[in-house]
Amino acid sequence: MYLNQFLILAAALFCIGVYGVLARRNGVLVLMSIELILNSVNINLVALSAMNGDVTGQVFALFVIAVAAAEVGVGLAIVLLIYRNRRSIDIAEANLLKG
Amino acid sequence: MSDFLRQYLLVILFALLAVGVVGAFIGLASLLRPNRPSKGKLENYESGVDPVGSGWSQSQIRYYIFALLFVMFDVEAVFIFPWATRLEEYGYFGLLEMVIFIAILTLGLGYAWRKGVLRWA
Amino acid sequence: MTLAFLAQQTIERIPFDSPTIDWHAFAPEAILLAWTCLVVVVDMVGLERARRFMPGLTGVGFLLATIPVLTLWNDGATRSLFEGAYVVDRYALALKGLFLISGYVVVLLSTQYMADGDYYDSEYYILLASSVLGMTVMASARDLITIFVALELLSIPAYLLAAWRKRDLKSNEAGLKYMLMGIFASAIMLYGMSLLYGVAGDTRLSVIAEKLTSEGTKPLLTLAALFTIIGFAFKVSAVPFHTWAPDTYEGAPTPLTAFLAVASKAAGFVAMVTIITTAFPGQADVVEPFMWVLSALTMSIGNLIAMRQTNIVRMLAYSGVAQAGYIMAPLAVYSQTGQNGVSAASAIVNYLIIYSAMNLGAFAVVIAAARKTRSGEISSFGGMLNYAPGLTTAMTVFLFSLAGIPPMGGWLAKWQVFSVLLQSESTWGTTLALVAAVNTVLAAFYYLNVAKQMWFMPAPDGDTSRVRVPPSLVAALAITVIATLLSGVTGLVPDITDFGSIALGR
Repeated sequence: MYLNQFLILAAALFCIGVYGVLARRNGVLVLMSIELILNSVNINLVALSAMNGDVTGQVFALFVIAVAAAEVGVGLAIVLLIYRNRRSIDIAEANLLKG
Repeated sequence: MSDFLRQYLLVILFALLAVGVVGAFIGLASLLRPNRPSKGKLENYESGVDPVGSGWSQSQIRYYIFALLFVMFDVEAVFIFPWATRLEEYGYFGLLEMVIFIAILTLGLGYAWRKGVLRWA
Repeated sequence: MTLAFLAQQTIERIPFDSPTIDWHAFAPEAILLAWTCLVVVVDMVGLERARRFMPGLTGVGFLLATIPVLTLWNDGATRSLFEGAYVVDRYALALKGLFLISGYVVVLLSTQYMADGDYYDSEYYILLASSVLGMTVMASARDLITIFVALELLSIPAYLLAAWRKRDLKSNEAGLKYMLMGIFASAIMLYGMSLLYGVAGDTRLSVIAEKLTSEGTKPLLTLAALFTIIGFAFKVSAVPFHTWAPDTYEGAPTPLTAFLAVASKAAGFVAMVTIITTAFPGQADVVEPFMWVLSALTMSIGNLIAMRQTNIVRMLAYSGVAQAGYIMAPLAVYSQTGQNGVSAASAIVNYLIIYSAMNLGAFAVVIAAARKTRSGEISSFGGMLNYAPGLTTAMTVFLFSLAGIPPMGGWLAKWQVFSVLLQSESTWGTTLALVAAVNTVLAAFYYLNVAKQMWFMPAPDGDTSRVRVPPSLVAALAITVIATLLSGVTGLVPDITDFGSIALGR
C-alpha cells in the first residue's frame, strides 16, 4: 500500500483549497476552492478506508459527495441572488455590513 | 522498485515518447518552413471580421435552476448504487428503505414542479 | 416456466429481516420528519391558500415531537441505537427538548414578521422545521458521519433563511457571508474527521476514544482534533472565527437572527461537547489549553466590541459571542471534573437552556419594539417605560439575566460554569474563572445601559403612542420570561450530571 502518496496528494489539495478560499474574491471561485477541500477529504477517506480494510470510510465519502452537492447548490443560488441584485459576484464588494 | 511504481514507469515512458515525437516533428517543421511574422497573424480570428469587445463574455444563465436540480438528483443516485449491489442481502426491508428514500426525493421534485420552478420560460 | 412462477420464487427467496429499531427512542425525529413532509404536501396542495396555516402547522409539529421527548425523559433509560452511533440519554433528551421548544418560540416570533413582509413564508417554515430536525439528530449523534449529516441538515436551511429577504442587499450579504464561512468551516472539520477516522478505523466516537487513548498524543492526532474543533468553533462564533456572526445577525430577518443566535449556536455546542467529552478524553493535554485560549479570547473580545455597539441587534450579536466564551469555558477543564458536583457537560447544557430562554426573549422584545420604532438603534429604546411598560419589564428581566444578576436564570448558569472551573482546582481553571469574572463585570455595563435607556431616558422623537404586540409575540415572551425566572428562582434545570462521567468512563 502506498498510503503516503494519497495522503500527500490530499494534503496538497487541502492547502490549495484553503489558499483559494482566502485569496480569491470571486464568489464562484471560492465555492470551487471549497470543493477542492472536500475532494481532498474524499481522497483521504477512501485511502484510509483501504488501509484500515473497512468500508465505513467509503460510506463517509459517499455522504460527503452528496452533501457537498447540496451545499454547492445552495451556495450557487445565493451567489446568483447577489449577482442579480448587484451585477457582481466580487465578495470584497459585499461590505454593507461592518463592525 | 515495486510493482505499483513499475506500472507508472510505463505511463512515464509513454508520456516521454509522445512529447519526443511531437517535439521532433515541430522542430523539423520549424527548420523547413518559411518564417515571416506580421501583426495581422497575431489577431484573434472572429469569422473574418475584426474582434469586438473582450474575450470574456457572459452566457445566459436563465436555466441554471434546471442544472442545480439535475446535479442534486444526479448525486442522490450515489446512495442507490451501493444498495443495488447488495440488493438480495437487504431483502424487502432494504427495498422499503429505498422506496422511502426515493419517495422523499420525489416529494422534493413534485414540490419544485408545483411551485412552477420547472416552467420552461 | 412462467413469469409468475419466477416472481413467486424470487419473492419467497428474499427475506424481510428488519434490524431491530427502538422506535420509541427514535420517535421525536420520526414525528418531526413525517410532519415536515406533511407540511410540504399541504403547501403543495394549497399554495397561496395554505400560507395562513403554515406557522400554526409547523408549531404543532414541534410540540408533537416534544411529547416523545417527555415520555423518554420519564422513562430515563439510556437507549443506544445503530450499534452505538445514535444514543438517546438524558443529555440528548434535554437538548432535543431545548431545540424543539426554541423552534416553537422562533415560529411564534416569525408569525407576524413574515405575514407583514412580502416573503415566501411557506418555505420559510419548512426550512425552519428541517433545520430543527437536524438539531434533534445532532443531540443524539455519537458517530462522525451522523454528526456531519446532522450539522449540514441544520446549516444548509439556515444559509437560505439568512438570505431570505431576497431583494435586500444586506440580507443577501448576510446569507453569503454565513454560507461561505459555514461551508469552509465544515470542510475543515471534515478534513479533521477524515484523519480521525484514519487513526481509529471507525467513525463511532466510543471506538475513536479507545483508540486515541491508547495512541496517546501525536502531532497527527493533535491536527485532527484541532481541525474538528475549529469546524464547530465557527458554528458557535468563537473568536477568531466569529467575523460572520454580527454581519449575518444584522442582515438576516430578525426572528431568524434569534434562531441562529440561539438554536444554531446551541447545536454547534452540542456537537463540540459530544466530540470533546466522548472522543477526546485521551487528548486533554492538547484540547484543554486550546479551549482555554478560545474561551478567554471569545469572552473578552466579544464583550469589548459589544460595548461600542449602537445597534441593538449587533450588540446582542457580540453579547452572544461573549456568552459563547462563558459556555465553552468548562471545556477548558473537562477532564478534571465530574467526580462530584457539576460536570462540564451538564454545566454547558444548563447554560445553553437558560441562554436560549433569555436571548430568545431579548430578540422577541426587539422585534416587538421594532414594529413601532422601525429602528435598531439602542437610543430608540428611550422612554419605553412610559408607553410599553410590559415590554420594558420583560426586557429588564432578560438583560439582568444576560448580565448574570441573581435571581435571574443567567445567574444560575454562570454560577455553574464558575463552580466547574473552580472545582478543577487547577491553575488553568482558576485563571479562566478570573477572566470570566472580569468579563461579567464589563458586560453588565452595556446590558444595563439598555435598561437605563428604557427606564430613565426620554423617547427620542417624543412619540409615546402604545406598541401593539401581536398575540404570538406575547406567547413567546411569556414562555421565555417564565423559563428565565423559573430556572433562576427555583434552580430548576434538567439533571444530566451523569453524562460527563459516563463519557469520561468514570
